[in-house]
Amino acid sequence: CAKKPAPVPVTTDDQAAAQQAVQGVEEMGAGETGIGESMIGEESMDDSMSMPQTVASLERIYFNFDRYDLSPEAQAILINNAEYLKANPDQKVRIEGYCDERGSDEYNLALGERRALAAQKYLESLGVAGDRLSVISYGEEMPLDPAQNEDAYAMNRRAEFKSMP
Amino acid sequence: QVEIRAPGQQTIAVANTQLVPLSGTPLPAIAAELHDVMAADLELSGLFRQLDPAAFLDDARRPGLTSSRVDFNQWALLGAEILIKGGYQLQGERLLVDFRLYDVVHRRLLTGRRYAGLRRDVRTMAHKFADQVLKSVTGREGPFSSRIAYIDNRTGHKELYLMDTDGANALRLTDHRSIVLNPDFSPNGREVIYTSYRRGNPDLYRKQLSTGQEARLAFKKGLNIAARFRPDGREIALTQSATGNPELMLLGTDGSRRRRLTSHWGIDVDPSWSPAGDRLAFVSDRQGNPHIFVMDLLGGQTARLTANGKYNATPAWSPDGKRIAFTRLEKGVFDIYTVRPDGTDERRLTFGPGNKEHPRWSPDSRFLVYSSDQDGRKGIYIMRADGTGIRRISAGGGQCQHPAWSGQR
Repeated sequence: CAKKPAPVPVTTDDQAAAQQAVQGVEEMGAGETGIGESMIGEESMDDSMSMPQTVASLERIYFNFDRYDLSPEAQAILINNAEYLKANPDQKVRIEGYCDERGSDEYNLALGERRALAAQKYLESLGVAGDRLSVISYGEEMPLDPAQNEDAYAMNRRAEFKSMP
Repeated sequence: QVEIRAPGQQTIAVANTQLVPLSGTPLPAIAAELHDVMAADLELSGLFRQLDPAAFLDDARRPGLTSSRVDFNQWALLGAEILIKGGYQLQGERLLVDFRLYDVVHRRLLTGRRYAGLRRDVRTMAHKFADQVLKSVTGREGPFSSRIAYIDNRTGHKELYLMDTDGANALRLTDHRSIVLNPDFSPNGREVIYTSYRRGNPDLYRKQLSTGQEARLAFKKGLNIAARFRPDGREIALTQSATGNPELMLLGTDGSRRRRLTSHWGIDVDPSWSPAGDRLAFVSDRQGNPHIFVMDLLGGQTARLTANGKYNATPAWSPDGKRIAFTRLEKGVFDIYTVRPDGTDERRLTFGPGNKEHPRWSPDSRFLVYSSDQDGRKGIYIMRADGTGIRRISAGGGQCQHPAWSGQR
């Protein structure tokens, strides 16, 4: 099986004197209670997450804070997206739901899924076959704009449409 | 045992001496590291006033492994109430450390420990004895020798890490090159569970700490997130959305489904168990905004916990059952609060710039660990349960978040 990746020591920066460079090696037990040892397991590195590409003519849509309802603008974009999908019947699409970084990550994962599902249901109501559409939520991961201001937050509250091979 | 004092009340004067070599050549680095780790833990506890070592007299240079060999007068003269002494011995890589804790006022030994291990276990040995010092003084062991799991993206991907309670000995545990989120320790401390997108969907994974062996535990389509072990370690609560909506579910530790806990149109997420495992705090937007609710698993009723604020999240029930910590969005910033499980006596713990999120309790309920971006980059911070003693513990490098505290080790 694959060579065991050596644990990567985490070097400290010049911050607190009490923190020091770390031995990434396997820790041994020590006397009294046998200090736990931990190391990195062997993993087979198959990357089954195929890298979808954003389809230019499938535009992303945006949402208000802590909301997953479709605004009139979002609906208009989805109507165009549905036209494109009906014109390309063999195109499969993954709808990715995102949030801005405020809020608990887990709540945002759930909210991101809600946003992706809202887009999916609307596309289906426009006649796009459901089996062509899949949904995933990334919550506040992978922001379009990592800045911490209202404009960036607005950019990140979105659903994207990625074509799947 | 010295009478109990709460942090902030009058502190106990402690003389924390450098341990002396029991045989062989002196090793100042070992003596200094043992001393400094102990001093930082005592400081964090808020229970002690540490005397200035410059004032120590010659008895500080003797190991004093038995009370008969300690010159208590010297220490009483300095106003010390308790005294930490001892010695060390290094044979090759084998390290032997003898700690003693004396009650200076009553001139007697409170506790002593001998640790045998390797040179690199020196910090853990000091943490372990600091736990014993707290036990002698308050009746309850400290958490300093436990570990903290967290997420760091220093490699360019969010991976799972482990570190000591003072941030040292950081070690990367996963190599998924995807997104790993929200770890939780099993009560016996041998295992960590966490969510990962490694296979293209947010699935729940488990990892044995001693072997590094990893497996998928729950991988229904959609969300398998925010998993928390029940305190008895026999079941896991998490949020899954395969039913079409994010609901709280109960799984066996083999991943088998035991029970569906919520059937509500709202988002139900972030479960946190009461110590007895009969109640569950969680976040739901069933009343519009995200608020924290408490569900009675036996009776089945669910009541809202947070009366104030418009966005409350990530509840964490203290192991002693007395408080529930959570984060609240107020004027665009997240701060950490605690409240009694009946919703009364709400207290705000953090102030100032930055979002403070994801609070988690230490196993002895004295401390909270959380993430904050107050210095521009998310880091892991620790503070006492009353909000004092804040210090950052994660090293620089990446954005660190989602801390989880292991049980007593």
